[in-house]
Amino acid sequence: MDPDAARTARESLDLTFHMSNLLDTGLDRHTLSVLIALCDLGLNPEALAALVKELRREPHASSLPATSTAPSRLS
Amino acid sequence: MEEEDDQKVSDLIKELVLRLLSQNLTPDSRPIDPNSSDFRNSLRYAVRILSSRMTPSIAPDAAAIAESIKRRLATQGKSSEALTFAELFTKFASKSGPGSVNNKWAVLYLLKIIAEDRKASNAQLDSSLLLPNLALSDTELDNSSRVLRRLGTKEKGWSNGVLWVSKDPGNRLEIAFREFANLIKEENEVCEEVLVRDVLYACQGIDGKYVKFDKNADGYVLPDSVKVPRATRVMVRKLCELGWLFRKVKGYITESMDRFPAEDVGTVGQAFCAALQDELSEYYKLLAVLEGQSMNSIPLVLEKACSENYLSLRRLSVWFAEPTVKMRLMAVLVDKCRVLRGGAMAGAIHLHAQHGDPLVHDFMRRLLKRVCSPLFEMVRSWVLEGELEDIFAEYFIVGQPVKVESLWRDGYRLHAGMLPSFISQSLAQRILRTGKSINFLRVCCEDRGWADAATEAATAAGMTTRRGGLGYGETDSLETLVDEAAKRIDKHLLEVIYKQYKFKEHCLAIKRYLLLGQGDFVQYLMDIVGPELSEPANTISTFKLAGLLETAIRSSNAQYDDRDILDRLRVKMMPHETGDIGWDVFSLEYDARVPLDTVFTESVMAMYLIIFNFLWKLRRVEHALIGAWKIMKPNCITSHSFTKLQRAVKFQLLSTLRRCQVLWDGMNHFVTNLQYYIMFEVLEVSWSDFSSEMEVAKDLDDLLAAHEKYLHSIVEKSLLGESSQTLCKSLFVLFDLILRFRSHTDRLYEGICELQAR
Repeated sequence: MDPDAARTARESLDLTFHMSNLLDTGLDRHTLSVLIALCDLGLNPEALAALVKELRREPHASSLPATSTAPSRLS
Repeated sequence: MEEEDDQKVSDLIKELVLRLLSQNLTPDSRPIDPNSSDFRNSLRYAVRILSSRMTPSIAPDAAAIAESIKRRLATQGKSSEALTFAELFTKFASKSGPGSVNNKWAVLYLLKIIAEDRKASNAQLDSSLLLPNLALSDTELDNSSRVLRRLGTKEKGWSNGVLWVSKDPGNRLEIAFREFANLIKEENEVCEEVLVRDVLYACQGIDGKYVKFDKNADGYVLPDSVKVPRATRVMVRKLCELGWLFRKVKGYITESMDRFPAEDVGTVGQAFCAALQDELSEYYKLLAVLEGQSMNSIPLVLEKACSENYLSLRRLSVWFAEPTVKMRLMAVLVDKCRVLRGGAMAGAIHLHAQHGDPLVHDFMRRLLKRVCSPLFEMVRSWVLEGELEDIFAEYFIVGQPVKVESLWRDGYRLHAGMLPSFISQSLAQRILRTGKSINFLRVCCEDRGWADAATEAATAAGMTTRRGGLGYGETDSLETLVDEAAKRIDKHLLEVIYKQYKFKEHCLAIKRYLLLGQGDFVQYLMDIVGPELSEPANTISTFKLAGLLETAIRSSNAQYDDRDILDRLRVKMMPHETGDIGWDVFSLEYDARVPLDTVFTESVMAMYLIIFNFLWKLRRVEHALIGAWKIMKPNCITSHSFTKLQRAVKFQLLSTLRRCQVLWDGMNHFVTNLQYYIMFEVLEVSWSDFSSEMEVAKDLDDLLAAHEKYLHSIVEKSLLGESSQTLCKSLFVLFDLILRFRSHTDRLYEGICELQAR
């Protein structure tokens, strides 16, 4: 990336990080950058937020049983 | 490209999951191994979550989202943070080009939801309520677990298995909620927020995505092709009544504005449109606020701590209650006033204002104030300046171009159709008279003093002579203004009539000359003019008569009268046929010029003429009898004449003479009494009544009425009216008889004198 784009990206990230701190979301800079990238690629922000929330719950609840009764498929 | 993107996505997801899980770790546990099955499961779950919701439920509008975030911060009491956030957002939004974020709204929305979720979870809520569609099968949890029922989601081909994992019977509430939520999703093809937005569009007269205006049903409806439960359909229909009313009102306003250039709509109509538009702007404000709120998503199931205002159909119906009442009022008025104009429109709207509800009352008052302001302005300018500028024919006073003489009587009149109902008939009459007086003064009397009177009146009533200052609901102050103006202008008018134009003197002069009040003048006139008038009518010249009139005036007391008055007295010869002698066609007339000819009109003068003729005939008869007496009175000639005659002839002659005397006596008695009656009982009495009424007359109308009464009473009492036609005829027959008697006695006594001479 050329330096201008890099600077813009960095500044955008800073601004977003600042906003997220204001809103007390508890996201750190790196996670936030990943999330921004995913949003930019077109994923549904509601889904991303739900994911964040689910994965952030009690530590013991996040460890899944080895066998899952629901079939699943990787996309 | 697609695969690259997909690869990027999956990489990023992996990264995300890793980081999130790392956050949850306590310091002393081991770091997460990306290859553990735990991690992989989490990854799978993550992918599932991400695939299940493809489209967001709100419109991608970054500014609106930023607004709602700011508002939330403000309501939480963190106003300085709200300002900071606003600054950051502006900076963020201004970044564009390579390296910047393209879906800014997505980022903002994401932050918003994460913040809300965090808050909610910190408030110890059961966050499972927020994910109705997803489930985590968890058979090893010892706290409450959830029931999962998975719907068949579309493209990814999940199985439609139903899984019941129920551990705690007390979970029924959650079960019920979940079922309800799913039921709603099934029944509604369209979600509620979209419907709400469509309704808001409909209320501005615009067709929404699903709600369209149906000409047959004459309303905004959801077409049957859209699948929504009946309750929702009915509610949408009810809310769209507001849209229908709005359409009607707006249609009227646009129509009227199109007609403005054609000068079809009057000033009152224009004021009405302006007032309606003001009310509509209030309505638009409300709609703007509601639209802002409609951006928030509606939670399907009620949360205990709802942080923002959302807008559902039910809430909308509460918001719309008051605007619907107002809009209904406006629509009713619009229907009423479509064909009316001017004062009639104001009157119709006023009728609607008689309402007990304070909301309606205030609304109508505001509206009427605007609508009636042109009318009140017209009244003010009419009453204070006599100006009638009525291009659109909306005023209740109508003027027509007439000759100067009939300005007072016919120049202006009331148009009852345009009289609004809050101005009473008597007030309207006073208004008419005041303006008429000003115009009369200006045109007929060429007087300028009325302007001072007008300004005085205005200051007395507490307002200026400029525009404005009067409004609807101030009918009292209007009345005061009209009364003050009327009082002063009337007084001024009467002063002018009396002093400048000497009305009283002219009336007196008419009485003296036309009604034969000036005895000596009449006597001389008769003496001089008498021989002339015995000739046939067509040989008499008016000039000669005019000269004789002058002589008569100069020889009587009338010469001391005002020259102006004497100038107006003239001889008039009425149109004659053959066989008439001068006596029948002679009359006097009095020339009353402007402005007095308002009182002494043609018909009035004709009346005077009739009375004059009668009086003149009476006088002639009296004159004849007096002339006969001059001949008949006992004198030397008659008493000594008969000595030479034979006895029989003498006796006959004497008896005839005696009979003549007796007849003469009777006639004289009759005529004297009649004369007395006419002069004193009729003329003088009526004149004194008229004088006293003139003293107390307050305006020209009173004066006119008094004069009419005066004339009428004279006509009736001197037996010239319709009720005494037969009596009148007999009287004239008697007069003829008397005149014949005179001529006979003349001949008789001539004969006697001749006899004496022989």
